[in-house]
Amino acid sequence: MLRGTILTNNPLVVEKLGPDAPVVYLQCSYQALLEAARDRIHQGARLLTHPLSGSVKPGETPYKSIILTNGKGDVDRQSLQLIENAIQACAKFQQRCDRYRPAVDLDCRLIDWTLLEGALASANQ
Amino acid sequence: MKLEIGNIFIKDIQFAAEAKLADGVLYVDKAALEKIVLEDETIKSVTFDIAKPGESVRITPVKDVIEPRVKVEGPGGIFPGIIAKVDTVGSGKTHVLKGMAVVTAGKIVGFQEGVIDMSGPGAKYTPFSETLNLVMVCEPVEGLKQHDYEKAVRLAGFRVAVALGELGRNVAPDETKVYETCGIKEGIEKYPDLPRVAYVQMLQSQGLLHDTYVYGVDAKKTLSTILWPTETMDGAIVSGNCVSACDKNPTYVHENNPVVEDLFAQHGKTLNFVCQIITNENVYLADKQRSSDWTAKMCRLLDLDGVIVSQEGFGNPDTDLIMNCKKIEAQGVKTVIITDEYAGRDGKSQSLADADAAADAVVTGGNANEVIVLPKMDKVIGTLDYVNKIAGASEETLQPDGSLVVELQVITGATNETGFIKLSAR
Repeated sequence: MLRGTILTNNPLVVEKLGPDAPVVYLQCSYQALLEAARDRIHQGARLLTHPLSGSVKPGETPYKSIILTNGKGDVDRQSLQLIENAIQACAKFQQRCDRYRPAVDLDCRLIDWTLLEGALASANQ
Repeated sequence: MKLEIGNIFIKDIQFAAEAKLADGVLYVDKAALEKIVLEDETIKSVTFDIAKPGESVRITPVKDVIEPRVKVEGPGGIFPGIIAKVDTVGSGKTHVLKGMAVVTAGKIVGFQEGVIDMSGPGAKYTPFSETLNLVMVCEPVEGLKQHDYEKAVRLAGFRVAVALGELGRNVAPDETKVYETCGIKEGIEKYPDLPRVAYVQMLQSQGLLHDTYVYGVDAKKTLSTILWPTETMDGAIVSGNCVSACDKNPTYVHENNPVVEDLFAQHGKTLNFVCQIITNENVYLADKQRSSDWTAKMCRLLDLDGVIVSQEGFGNPDTDLIMNCKKIEAQGVKTVIITDEYAGRDGKSQSLADADAAADAVVTGGNANEVIVLPKMDKVIGTLDYVNKIAGASEETLQPDGSLVVELQVITGATNETGFIKLSAR
């Protein structure tokens, strides 16, 4: 069982993992999801997955899922640096995913899910 | 470990009733290949087409590019653990159909890429505008899931490449090259005064359309390990990834890795090419730590003086790249890293998502955000239906006159991080 929290704006993650999984679903943009992760890091959580997972870049997919620890306490500098760099990277890419057709939107959800799935396999070993 | 590569120069590809390779012309029996592809019941149909350098042809969305090869002497076969049995390859003799490629194309997901233009300004950015390309577009049976479709297309490409490679088994090569490296002790005795150098190759390993396979094993499930550099020439590493095609390594690049090629060229002269170390680029941060720790540990154990590290991808792998660089340097081993840049369309943004002072020798493949206009081509193999959806493209990508306004990201191999590209600043 995962000891941590999955922060996601991807409805497919909620659907795949079910109601009992430690998932916090936020209806927000990719960048806002990264910022929500940053808030948790400031409260002492550590990143367990890379915030820029996948080659579908910020702006090219609306979906992002990140696993963090539930820890409270001192700020983990490495996590903070990773999330700040990721938020900064968002500005480099053009926003275009709001104009995708529905089928492409579903594909974006699927890709985000497979990236998370691989990480969960490692986390649950 | 010694491998002899016999290059058979392919001057032309033609469809014919009988498959054969004669006088540098590859005659392709479409029906026979179709049968090979349709062995997989999840593939409904396949169409074959030929694209030649200089033609007004655009191929998209490209999934993989594969060079046909055949093992004529020595253990194992091409693509071990996938098509051939899992025997260790990289010794004996291999024939190569040089100058051509099998290109797989097809819509796996809506935003898939990349683009190969056989002429015009885009052709300069992809090395595969210079190969004679046999393009295969596979259609799945209805309802096939993306994972299964991706796998079916990937394996069908390898089966076709192996079938074509087989035609070169009894053909005398036009050119023969010999690649040989030695064991640790032997190398130290033979080249006591030369620096001990290895190649650290980072492999994309994140998920669907972001995977690489080593002897058939999903690279995300591997620990960093060592190869004889010749193993990759027999297809030990294959591609299962193509998103942001500019900096992903198609199978062709693994078979012809320019870092391996150049290190062999200097082997015994200016350096001792010790081995190839492969490591992954997982999403889970503890995996990154473990893999980079192991890579650095091996560099120390092998008493290396220097390594060249090549990355595959952007963002998540930037962290692996910097972890590898920092940790290897901390072991007293010099590093040169090869990456590419996402520096924004104007080139003014921070290029990488991670950095460190230890990364003081960096080679770049170029800025993947750079915008290029690709004029309309007379013929499209594959489909332009999805070209608006590829990474680096947008709704405005497809112009009314048929031209494409895109970032270099979409072009297969445009900013390749092994240096398998044609443009340079020199």
